[in-house]
Amino acid sequence: MSRGVTAEPTLEAVREAREVIEYCYGRGWTDGLPVVPPGEEFVEEFLSQVARDPEEVVFAQEHLGRKCTVRLAAAAAVMAGCRPEYFPVVLAMLEAVRDLPVSRGLFQSTTGQAVLVVINGPIRQELGFNCTDNVFSPGDRANATVGRALRLVVLNALGIRPHAFDQSTQGTPAKFSFCIAENEEESPWEPLHVERGFGREESTVTVAWARGTMPVEQRDSKQPEHILLSIADSMSYGGAYFPSPRGHGSIVVMGPEHAQMIAEAGWSKQQVREFLWEHFGRRAGELRRLGKEGGLEAQLPDEAFVRFAPAPEAITLVVAGARNAGVSTVCPTFAWQTVTRRIPGRRV
Amino acid sequence: MADGILFEERGIPAAAVITDAFRRTADAMARAQGLEGYPYVAIPHPISSLSPEELRVRAEQALPEVVRLLQEVEG
Repeated sequence: MSRGVTAEPTLEAVREAREVIEYCYGRGWTDGLPVVPPGEEFVEEFLSQVARDPEEVVFAQEHLGRKCTVRLAAAAAVMAGCRPEYFPVVLAMLEAVRDLPVSRGLFQSTTGQAVLVVINGPIRQELGFNCTDNVFSPGDRANATVGRALRLVVLNALGIRPHAFDQSTQGTPAKFSFCIAENEEESPWEPLHVERGFGREESTVTVAWARGTMPVEQRDSKQPEHILLSIADSMSYGGAYFPSPRGHGSIVVMGPEHAQMIAEAGWSKQQVREFLWEHFGRRAGELRRLGKEGGLEAQLPDEAFVRFAPAPEAITLVVAGARNAGVSTVCPTFAWQTVTRRIPGRRV
Repeated sequence: MADGILFEERGIPAAAVITDAFRRTADAMARAQGLEGYPYVAIPHPISSLSPEELRVRAEQALPEVVRLLQEVEG
């Protein structure tokens, strides 16, 4: 196993590598960026990280006649640029995605949803997942490659590609890779996985459908209501709304500065969620002004507040980013149920 | 498309209706189901912004083709 940079490769080796990269392009295996060639030896190295039958089906799309086995998942992880020890995370992520609601249809949806992946627990430090500054940005291998492995599974194993089965009207760059970790150390509240009944010393992966990221600025005030209303207002932009039978939800990735100000004023995580839920929506008259009449009852007065989410649980709250400015992010979605799975320990 | 093909496989006549923006996906699905060239009715896109009356006109326009596909015997 290669670890870090070793001897400088020969020019011949570089030329060969380039040819193999082009070969992978030629086979239609990439997301548009180069992939690491999934040589059998590399795939085996990844498989050795988990105690699983390589032919076991992890995730199927029956209507397309496609399935992702443990082996194909390992190949995707190799291609994405993962290190072998990331593979248990990739596998747990794929199993969590399989259990998401509408995991059969939403990968093909015109809405172009990505899957946000959130890592919790000690594995963040063990494998180097970024949870601080630039948490959504390129630059950290674990985040970038684990998120990318999901997309390569969707493209190759499940066969859901652009210009055919992926019908996204526009899609989102979040489909390349969309993996963050929670900044548990600077969060004033219990981490996401503890909230969901896991131990603080366990490591988990949480997945959620999300249409992208929208930044929320609020550096002028430290009043919890001001911060939370700024966040709720950003969750409630007119373009987010359509009369979805399941309602809308939001993944709120709160910057540590916002979270700490709110917590210092005595707010619990549940109180935050309830407040956001109460203010997540628009007045009927505003929706009518946008021509979004669908789903609104004709008798509903213009002043009536139309809540976008069915319950506070439709809002997932995560703390991530640097404690250097009053910035948070909201990720809109309409399929708001999320799934958290434990990442098994290293195979002994 | 997949539903229509699965119906047909079970001996239930079906006519898949799509809007013309989805031809590429429909053709890909027919290939994935092993029935390349499986016929369907393509109506003009879009439909989600149509009034119920406008939608009814679209349905009436598509009807003869739907009936024809339902009666078509594979052979």
